[in-house]
Amino acid sequence: MRRIVGVAAIGLACCTIWGAARADEREAAPQGATAYIIWPSDGAVIPGGKFWLRMGLSGAGIAPAGIDRPNTGHHHLIIDADLPPLDQPIPNDKNHLHFGAGQTEVRIELPPGKHTLQLLLGDANHLPHDPPIESKKISITVPQ
Amino acid sequence: MSVNSISAKIARTASRCALLSALGLLSAPAWAHDTSSVAVPIVAQAPPAQQAVAPASGIKRTPAPPDAYCYIGWPNDGETLHTRHIKVWFGTRNFGVAPAGVDKANTGHHHLLIDTDLPPLDDAIPNDKNHLHFGAGQTETYIDLPPGTHTLQLLMGDANHVPFDPPVMSKKITIHVE
Repeated sequence: MRRIVGVAAIGLACCTIWGAARADEREAAPQGATAYIIWPSDGAVIPGGKFWLRMGLSGAGIAPAGIDRPNTGHHHLIIDADLPPLDQPIPNDKNHLHFGAGQTEVRIELPPGKHTLQLLLGDANHLPHDPPIESKKISITVPQ
Repeated sequence: MSVNSISAKIARTASRCALLSALGLLSAPAWAHDTSSVAVPIVAQAPPAQQAVAPASGIKRTPAPPDAYCYIGWPNDGETLHTRHIKVWFGTRNFGVAPAGVDKANTGHHHLLIDTDLPPLDDAIPNDKNHLHFGAGQTETYIDLPPGTHTLQLLMGDANHVPFDPPVMSKKITIHVE
């Protein structure tokens, strides 16, 4: 009996460790899936710096954060920053905006100057997929 | 959720907005910045679930915020297209996308209505060649249409493919395929 309990305990421990590891594991991306910025276009000059950014996704679907479905994720918009480490959850700050409610557009306001914008899809746990589903990094200019 | 906790959330959201404004860098709406505050302004406006209309069909429609709507980002209304293989991009405002079967407030999945009027709003949206379902959370598609004049309209469905109350839908647009 004690042996059975022992085996069960080891099994439970393994499951717990495996489960924890799963949360850190990157979700496989569907082949050919890509994100893209529909608007603005690369090189756009935007007087006033206020615009709606529209998020495009090909070959995959949108699911809110926390929803674990294959071939889905939610958008993150990276402003004036490079891609974050791909083996960690995407940061949540003014340079990394999360769209965990399944949004596909956002109203943005940027100060005068040159800015970069890039989309990166995150899975239920905000981890980038493997390979990452990202857009081209585009540049826009807000005139003085 | 109690009134107090909604008030507290709104207060937190307001303070986040103030912080963002103070940063002077960004004035994205609060729902765009932080997942924890995402639904707060929307939830505050939405009618309580218990007031959802109970239609004769017995199917309960999920409430949606009155300012939520869809739009067809491409093609434009009245556009003449020189291809029969047409990309359609689905836009959503003040609302989110989730796959079919996911029951999460203020999210739904797109249905593209081709050459047809709105179906009955108190029943599941039909699934046929005039009513395309995008239950995997897609936000775009390609369709093939014969030459002629066609209409396109988006209608969001809830986890069970039933339109929201009020319906979250786009304007019906007309395109000409050559």
